[in-house]
Amino acid sequence: MIKYVIKRILMMIPVLIGVVIIVFTINYFSEVSPAVILAGANATAEDIAAKNAELGLDRPYLVQIGSYFYNLIFHGSMGTSYIYKQPVISMIATRMPYTLTIGIIAAAFSAVVGIVLGILGAVKQNSIFDYISTTLSIICAALPPFLVCLGLMLVFSVHLKWLPIQGINGWKSYILPIIATGLSPIAMTARMTRSSILEVIRQDYIRAARAKGVPEGVVVWKHTLKNALIPILTVVGMNFGLSMTGSVICETIFNIPGLGLLMASSISQRDFITTQGCVLVCAFIVCVMNLLTDLCYALVDPRIKAQYKNTGKSIKKRSIQKGGAAA
Amino acid sequence: MSLLEIKNLEIRFNTDAGVVHAVNGINLTIEEGESFGLVGETGAGKTTTALAILNLLQSPPAEIVSGEIIYKGQDILKMSKNKLREIRGEEISMIFQDPMTSLNPVMTIGEQIMEAVKYHSGKSAADAQLRMLEMLEKVRIPAERSYDYPHQFSGGMKQRVVIAEALAANPALLLADEPTTALDVTIQAQVLDMISSLQKENKTAMLLITHDLGVVAETCKRAAIMYAGEIVEIGTVEQIFDSTAHPYTKGLFNSIPSLDKKTDRLMPIRGLMPDPMDLPKGCKFAPRCPYADESCINECPPLKDLGEGHYCKCHHADKGAPLYFPDEKGNELAYEHGLPVSNPGNDFLGKGDGPNGK
Repeated sequence: MIKYVIKRILMMIPVLIGVVIIVFTINYFSEVSPAVILAGANATAEDIAAKNAELGLDRPYLVQIGSYFYNLIFHGSMGTSYIYKQPVISMIATRMPYTLTIGIIAAAFSAVVGIVLGILGAVKQNSIFDYISTTLSIICAALPPFLVCLGLMLVFSVHLKWLPIQGINGWKSYILPIIATGLSPIAMTARMTRSSILEVIRQDYIRAARAKGVPEGVVVWKHTLKNALIPILTVVGMNFGLSMTGSVICETIFNIPGLGLLMASSISQRDFITTQGCVLVCAFIVCVMNLLTDLCYALVDPRIKAQYKNTGKSIKKRSIQKGGAAA
Repeated sequence: MSLLEIKNLEIRFNTDAGVVHAVNGINLTIEEGESFGLVGETGAGKTTTALAILNLLQSPPAEIVSGEIIYKGQDILKMSKNKLREIRGEEISMIFQDPMTSLNPVMTIGEQIMEAVKYHSGKSAADAQLRMLEMLEKVRIPAERSYDYPHQFSGGMKQRVVIAEALAANPALLLADEPTTALDVTIQAQVLDMISSLQKENKTAMLLITHDLGVVAETCKRAAIMYAGEIVEIGTVEQIFDSTAHPYTKGLFNSIPSLDKKTDRLMPIRGLMPDPMDLPKGCKFAPRCPYADESCINECPPLKDLGEGHYCKCHHADKGAPLYFPDEKGNELAYEHGLPVSNPGNDFLGKGDGPNGK
């Protein structure tokens, strides 16, 4: 099991390298250089060239990307922001708590509400509960996030004046962003839970459990849900990743000083090195969430657990063989 | 009073394509401790009948149109959900056809066997565990394997787990739905023996559903032959095998290969079972029956009493009707190949003229 985890962590490295290369390349070929923005409106060609040299942007592509990786690996540095002249890593670190708070709470909230709606829909299939749960989730899924943000703001902040409009000022400021981020994940989770449970509840072993006289509640919560959980976990894990990227829109609208807002402003200011740092952190979080999801599979399903154990064994065997060959 | 009495049971499935008439007015009784065989082709309505006894049919699409299923004097079809739950597992339990799919893959087998005991009145978790270990021993699975999951067992062992599960609460009636069909031939006999001996030990009555007449001959005292949702012949195993009355039953015997007769070809029953959405008006077997005449096509035969509890649903149920089916060309293969004219069912009971039948 530990071997499996180590293997998975090692597999994250190529993914992250790939992400850096793609973002770096897109930025490198961007039409507007950061130097043009920094030098100001009346800058001459010499000013721009000087800025470029100062930022190290006049160097060849391979040298630039090479030095980025060198600094990242050996100094743990993501470079210095072109605009704010601060280390990117510390900028991200100060903004991360806001994004994580909203992301984690929104993911947990959407998982709980989504699973309950889904179970209700499946167990009371074709009843009024099912229709309400289906309608709610279709509405949640169909609403574009920016519209949800603006709508919530208009109703709860502008008209009812219950909650602050923007910025972070006490716990109340988190409520609207969490709801806005969580709505479409609720829909996805509910739909997935419903279909997954409906599939499992038709299985022979559910009928066998009923034939043993197991109470209906135990049939649903223990026999059915545990078997239906794998696809649900996948969606919940994915939703967490989505809420990180979704934070760009939500944080911009609610003006929350988190990772999303930093990413959005760094793109508009051509502060590419900051953008790159933000994307790298997002990719890392998504990778970690994927790994956690896969580990949760093993908790739920003993067959997957056995598979993971075997993965560990095959690594061991291979390394023994390698060791033997070297000797 | 019989342990179980099914009266005039009629079940249909209302599907988008039409109404499927799965069970059409069957009557049968099972006495305490008795083994009863229910034989028929696939699609004859055997499993539907068994599921109806536990009231486990998914409704919709299933609809129990009429009939009663009386268990110890009470109608199962009219019981409250709670009462029904108490009966399931403790009074009547079921072994399902496929052991691969009837165990929950994410629960240990110990847990699953215990469930059969745990959720019934007056049993503590400790009782359930003791009983689980006892059952595992009876089906010859080592106790330490109770913490293993179904995917760690072979097919035959899984079926033994299912048997342990079904008999854990010491039920009065066991419904065994083709318990050996999904298994390797080599362990079929072993599993059947295990079911029979446990059943005898606990004095459990059994409804054995199968398409294998050999299994019935070995295990049961009485049997019923089912065709297109109807019971066409019912009686003791001797009556059915020795004095086979219904042409369909005869057809079944003729389609079984025999070791002690030299036969070039088997004689299967011509045609297919009628579409359950569009059953014939008269006798359901008439389109395939070589003896069918006007009356068979127009009018449904009654269940004729042939004496001593032997009943047959055929206009031509009189003794002495020819036993063999002509092939497509109308030749009576049986005579061509010089087969004995004795009743083919005799071979099963070891009474035939073959080398084994002395």
